[in-house]
Amino acid sequence: MNNMAFLIQKTLIYSIPLLIVAMAGMISERSGIINIALDGMMIFGSFLGAEVVYMLQDAGILSGNPQVVFLLAMLAAAVAGALFSLLLAFSAINLKADQTIGGTALNLLAPAAAHFFIKVLYMQDKLVMPKDIGFVILNENIPEFMKPFFDKAYISTYIAIFIFVVLSIILYKTRFGLRLRACGEHPQAADSVGINVYKMRYIGVMLSGALGGLGGYIYIATVAGGTCNADVAGTGFLALAIMIFGNWKPGGIVVGSLLFGLLKCLSSTYTSLDLNGDGIAILKDLPLPMYFYNIVPYIVVLIVLILTSKNSRAPKAEGIPYDKGAR
Amino acid sequence: MSLGAGGYMKRILSLILCIAVSISLFSLTGCGAATSRGAQIGIVTDVGELMDKGFNQGTYEGVKAYAEANGKTFKYYQPANGNNASDNDRVAAMRQAINNGAEIICINGFLQAAAIETVASEFPDVKIIFVDGWVMKDHPNVTAITYKEHESSYLAGYAAVKEGYTKLGGTFGGGGSHPPCNRFGYGFVQGADAAAREMNKQITINYSYKFGDTFSASSELQTQIAGWYSQGCEVVFCAGGSMFDSVKSAAAEYPNAKIIGVDVDQSKESDRVITSATKGLKESIVRVLTDYYAGKWDSSLSLKEQNLGAAENAVGLPTDTWSLKNFTVEEYQDLFNKIKNGIIVPKSDVPENGNNAAWLEKGLTNTTIRFE
Repeated sequence: MNNMAFLIQKTLIYSIPLLIVAMAGMISERSGIINIALDGMMIFGSFLGAEVVYMLQDAGILSGNPQVVFLLAMLAAAVAGALFSLLLAFSAINLKADQTIGGTALNLLAPAAAHFFIKVLYMQDKLVMPKDIGFVILNENIPEFMKPFFDKAYISTYIAIFIFVVLSIILYKTRFGLRLRACGEHPQAADSVGINVYKMRYIGVMLSGALGGLGGYIYIATVAGGTCNADVAGTGFLALAIMIFGNWKPGGIVVGSLLFGLLKCLSSTYTSLDLNGDGIAILKDLPLPMYFYNIVPYIVVLIVLILTSKNSRAPKAEGIPYDKGAR
Repeated sequence: MSLGAGGYMKRILSLILCIAVSISLFSLTGCGAATSRGAQIGIVTDVGELMDKGFNQGTYEGVKAYAEANGKTFKYYQPANGNNASDNDRVAAMRQAINNGAEIICINGFLQAAAIETVASEFPDVKIIFVDGWVMKDHPNVTAITYKEHESSYLAGYAAVKEGYTKLGGTFGGGGSHPPCNRFGYGFVQGADAAAREMNKQITINYSYKFGDTFSASSELQTQIAGWYSQGCEVVFCAGGSMFDSVKSAAAEYPNAKIIGVDVDQSKESDRVITSATKGLKESIVRVLTDYYAGKWDSSLSLKEQNLGAAENAVGLPTDTWSLKNFTVEEYQDLFNKIKNGIIVPKSDVPENGNNAAWLEKGLTNTTIRFE
């Protein structure tokens, strides 16, 4: 297979979880609640998703329909993420607690809880799926230029793209989207025209939790080979950085996650990457140690954040608990 | 006097309480004794998980097989902090095994050497089997089992090339400084080259220690191996515990991608596994435990290293489960006997730090190593 197609394919697989989770962060922050618990929500969702797959595969249910199992797991992960995010919503909205600290608590809780349950239930450090999830399309015989999207693709990729489009439309083209954004910019003004700020913020956080959990399971299933070890390698925090890089806007988030996905992909394939097909791996011949390529994605995110921070415009009211009396 | 009656009641009560407490104490210690008798053989695992489908699991199954056949009881201990376990964590796990009544402990992985030194001098009566290790001259209570991994992987590399594969790959754990993994890699390259020379073909081998430092699966490793397969690599030899999971996932993306397993027969893990370069962990541990319980510790085990290879039938490919078609079992037996009788001697002089291509390429005629 052509190298370029391989690169695009892998980039897409790395980018999709980042895209979904960065969207999760955006929805929450646009409603006015800082959500640094993205990592925790991913871990919690991924654990429940993996658990569902494990139980179904173990019991032999739906063994002929791996894609249905995959869909059910994604649903379970989203529900788990939404329920988990209620903890953040309750502390931040009802108790008016510091949102950063609440989020940190969730980040600490999720991996510990997932580890605990995996240990108790399976006496293992990680939960390995009995069977592969498999690709929705595995087609070697299609034209080269279509391969990145229609060969070896996961069903989650299409679903994630669909969710992304729908969410972007909701946020910018519907009354609900406008109200949600208003709660993040000037909740007092929103309240004065009869919008229930608490309700909108609850919806924002729970949507965020659902997307976070979903992204977590997608990460586990596509990037991490289907194994849940209560760890998503900091993907949630990366998504947070990508959200800031994308200036809390869907378009920017797409660019950010694709950029990072590409760099991440390069770092593990540069030794055999031969883009123009002349048999020479250009990047490998550069006199750089492998660690250089491993850190490049993170360094680039840092640099880009520094360069774009001047223009970055966070929702005005995020992080501030809404107090009706302070109107 | 009315107070006195109350005093009696109190005394009787306290007496009853005393009795109750002492009975429960006795019964508790009784329990303790029962459990300590209940774990005569201890296992302290290496990095990676217990059920890693390889090294730890093979050791565990060896102990389990012996214990169940001979009415012994056993228990495994995993040092705290997983892949980042310190010597203190390992010592703690070993002490725990001994406190639970272990009289002999099976400890695998050369990383545990320092901890073994500590525990061996602390408990001179407890016997230790050091798998993949070495004997320690100050500690007569330690015996070592080592394997000729290079013989096993020589067979695997030879078989793969004879089967018709010309683009091979190998990913190894331990970052180039793990002698058993290096021997696996070295033997594989030599075997493949020998077969290529006989068939007068040119072959290439992608060879890498990247992403294998901790013997664990990672998305980076999966992407790297998927990259190899996408470039036409046909079969990848994976020697590094849970790294197998990443190679398996990468192979799932390519319909014709094949894998060679390691340590134990891994054909059950994936239908892509064409064969496995095994070392007889289970058999050799059963053997040592049998000798120990037959009272032969001082005569045949203490301060002695069991270096097991083809001559002892401790390495080889499981011919019952392999899926090779062009390379026959007869050809395999022929080659195996040549190694067994010393007609072919795969080299095993691996360097301390093998993270470069220079030592691998020595003496190769028909092979191009692509070192990553």
